[in-house]
Amino acid sequence: MNDLTLIRKSLFRKKTRAILLILSIMTAFLIFGALASIDRVLNSSEELSRADRLVTVNKINFTQTMPYAYWGRVGAVEGVQAVTHASWFGGYYQDIRNFVQAFAVDVDTYLEVYPELVMPADQRAALSERRDCVAVGADLAEQYGWAVGDRFPLSSNIWRQADGSSAWDVEVCAIMTIPDQELPTNYLLMQYDYYNEALAFNRDQIGWMILLTGDPANNDAVSERIDTLFANSPAETETTTEAAFSQAFVEQLGNIGLILSLVVGAAFATILMIVGTTMVMAINERTKEVGVMKTLGFSSSRIFTHVLSESVLLSLVGGLLGLGAAVLLLGGIAEVAGGQLPGLGVGRETWIQALGLMLAFGLLTGFVPAVNAMRLKIVEALGKD
Amino acid sequence: MTDVLYELTDLSKKYTRGKESVAIFEDLTMTINRGDFIAIMGPSGSGKTTLLNLLGGIDKPSGGQVVCNGLRIDNLSQAKLAKWRSSHVGFIFQFYNLMPTLTAAQNVELPLLLTKLSSKERKRRVQTAMEVVKLAERAKHRPRQLSGGQQQRVAIARALVADPDVLLCDEPTGDLDRATADEILETLQLLNSELGKTIVMVTHDPAAAKYARRELHLDKGRFVETGAMA
Amino acid sequence: MISQISAVTSINLRSIPQRWGMSLATILSIALVVGVLLGFLAMANGFRATVSGTGSESIAVLLRSGSQAELNSGFGRDTVRLIETAPGVARDEDGAAILSAELYVITDATKRSTGNDASLSLRGVDDMAPRLRENFELVEGRMFAEGSNEIVVGEGVLREFSGFELNSTIRMGPNEWRVVGVFSTGGSVFDSEIWADIGTVQNLYQRGASYQSIRVQLDGETGLTELQDYAENEPRLDLDITTEKEFFAQSAGGLSNLIMYLGWPLAIIMAVGALAGAWNAMYASVDSRVREIATLRTLGFSGFAAFVGTLVESLLLAFIGGLVGALITYFVFDGVSASTMGGSFTQVVFSFAVTIQSVISGVVLALIVGLFGGFFPALRASRVPLLEVHG
Repeated sequence: MNDLTLIRKSLFRKKTRAILLILSIMTAFLIFGALASIDRVLNSSEELSRADRLVTVNKINFTQTMPYAYWGRVGAVEGVQAVTHASWFGGYYQDIRNFVQAFAVDVDTYLEVYPELVMPADQRAALSERRDCVAVGADLAEQYGWAVGDRFPLSSNIWRQADGSSAWDVEVCAIMTIPDQELPTNYLLMQYDYYNEALAFNRDQIGWMILLTGDPANNDAVSERIDTLFANSPAETETTTEAAFSQAFVEQLGNIGLILSLVVGAAFATILMIVGTTMVMAINERTKEVGVMKTLGFSSSRIFTHVLSESVLLSLVGGLLGLGAAVLLLGGIAEVAGGQLPGLGVGRETWIQALGLMLAFGLLTGFVPAVNAMRLKIVEALGKD
Repeated sequence: MTDVLYELTDLSKKYTRGKESVAIFEDLTMTINRGDFIAIMGPSGSGKTTLLNLLGGIDKPSGGQVVCNGLRIDNLSQAKLAKWRSSHVGFIFQFYNLMPTLTAAQNVELPLLLTKLSSKERKRRVQTAMEVVKLAERAKHRPRQLSGGQQQRVAIARALVADPDVLLCDEPTGDLDRATADEILETLQLLNSELGKTIVMVTHDPAAAKYARRELHLDKGRFVETGAMA
Repeated sequence: MISQISAVTSINLRSIPQRWGMSLATILSIALVVGVLLGFLAMANGFRATVSGTGSESIAVLLRSGSQAELNSGFGRDTVRLIETAPGVARDEDGAAILSAELYVITDATKRSTGNDASLSLRGVDDMAPRLRENFELVEGRMFAEGSNEIVVGEGVLREFSGFELNSTIRMGPNEWRVVGVFSTGGSVFDSEIWADIGTVQNLYQRGASYQSIRVQLDGETGLTELQDYAENEPRLDLDITTEKEFFAQSAGGLSNLIMYLGWPLAIIMAVGALAGAWNAMYASVDSRVREIATLRTLGFSGFAAFVGTLVESLLLAFIGGLVGALITYFVFDGVSASTMGGSFTQVVFSFAVTIQSVISGVVLALIVGLFGGFFPALRASRVPLLEVHG
């Protein structure tokens, strides 16, 4: 027997009560784990971003296109190390509900600007050989069961070919991954020339450009040079960092971060009240025992530590179970969703935050009863029946 | 052997109830010798339990001194008092006051958590103490599964286990029937005669008091000694 | 029996103040659970009411086939001409088709709440557009003049975005526009749009003579099928035709379902947490009255009365909690204006709507928590041994 035995025994003195408290703490941490993960998935494009990578879009709105010639002109701007362009294809596979995030790009420069995208050398070589070759992200390939060599018509809900067809025949020539990072690869890259030459309308337009400046310190100067270059033209541009661009996009959904924080806050406020009052009550019930412990020679500070440890232990048990439940739940959701929700899971950062929260929560709920127990006078405690 | 264990000098204790100040006793002076077995008797409110609390260092006097084994304990800090209690005093209460969640053996082991003894040594001491009170076979039982007499014997083992200088007993048989009470008192008597433990017992039961070497009668804060029996 | 139950219940209820800490914690925790649920439901209801609530059965929306959203659609003047003479389209006194061919552009504007840019719909229309929106009303100013760079803005735009006050000039992209009117369509999605002359929009955005959608008034109940049959058999047409109601229902479904699917599980998980609180509070209540209950039992009160008394206490606490949660949600959230990304990546302005049904759902959830939270403690109360009377 040691102090931990005492703490554990006191905690489970009333089994139903302890289990109920653990259950309620569990629920709060389950909510925390799940929502933190959702928040992370929404902001995952931010993790993907590189500090010296800029995005140039049409100033009116990013859905407006700009002339193909802009690409070459931006390449000549001082401070631009590499630039590529992309166009939104509005893709789907077989059925209109099978959405495929597809971009028409210039493959060589695209892979230069996104060096994190990796594929085997032979596949990389094959990709440049034929114009109907596409590169598919590993997550997307898994979702539709595609492998290298598969051919299929990739349909668009926006674009039409001159012959009236809305599907481009493509062949999977490469599978892309992003090694060492938990980032989603749920998109497809097709070749701009192949897409553009068949277009019935809006030919020789590009959606947006992505460029590297080599040093974040140059970002502002380069942005200004590009936007000045196209000022007063029919397609003015706006250049921002990649992070700011994706952040702005997520923010359009509304203040999701605030909503999630409010829910997590409400969940914690709930259990804080429940666990806090119950702990005070539980220690009150043990007044006499605390008095006896003190009589035996246990110091007030040791008693204080005991009570505080008890509530921290309670919080840790409930919190870890809750986070475990979140892992299972998110795993289940990811399973059901196929490859559509890559990156869904409890990340390391969430674990660290949760552990901190458990500790803080335990200390907070245990503090008042611990002080009560510490201040308890033996004579009064023993006199109480 | 007339080695002095406790010296109480001009001891007084007052309680304030609202605006009124009530004196439990004033200018109490007495000594307790090592190896003695004293029964303190007296009507309710005579200050018996308060005196016991002062001897055990769980309450502080309003005036005067309490010296135990040459150490003045009435002005020690709470933390120092706690440490002192753990090695010098064993308490036995009327309602046993065992920890309901712990087994009998764990209850006995409790005071040893305050020592630096190894786990093995603690187990050995617990075993010995349980044998002294003849309860070794009930070591794994919880207080609820034991009779009142058995619970009180566990409490005695707990008081003994750290080998204190003195056992302080507050109405140890107050909740027990006659036969069981006699068993407990015989055990205490044995501890006094065989192991030489100093015992101070508060009781209102004259039959219980007969087991002591001497009886002290406390009335309105004054001692009325009724003679030594041994 | 009734008198027994009411006697025990009143003793229970009068003892609540003795345990006000636990009781208050229970009430507040249940209030928070209900608050979270109603917050989500108010959001989902408000969004759905805006996006699909006003869709009409007698108006059809025509998009290029397979395009799903106006943003992706596109066709030329010839398609519009074919529809003008198509069967199933209602006509006015002069025999002209009641039809509005429109262009749909997305533009950036500054949100009041964050100061950041967000996307808005800029719709190029002609004077037929108002006739194809039920409840259209010009609240302030006048309509834009043909061929001018004047705009009229929906009420929602005015509320959530800055710079659109009447008679002000606003720059969007390279172009300057003058706000000459504010319109309302009774809280539908169109209130989140900016309207301008279609010729001007085609010109400024280099769209030639192209259109993205046609809205037509259907001629009677068979209008839709007549029009669909015609479009299917006319090789020069390549269109998807649905009623406006169905079109909106499709675009509203996703987000409001997501909000609902998120809201309910969250509320239920939180309810489990609150259940633990109610359970504890009721056990504490029973524990503190064991002697009292035993005394009543020796006097001849039945165990059932003790059971009901405890259950009523639990239900009452839960009910108060549910009501507090509903009231707070109502006063904090009802009518709050918000905007989010709807179909086509553009902002839809909507108001949180706390409905009676969702309040009832919330209170029912609270009562379920109270029922489960009180059941086992009540069972214990009914089984208190008579000997406990001696304490």
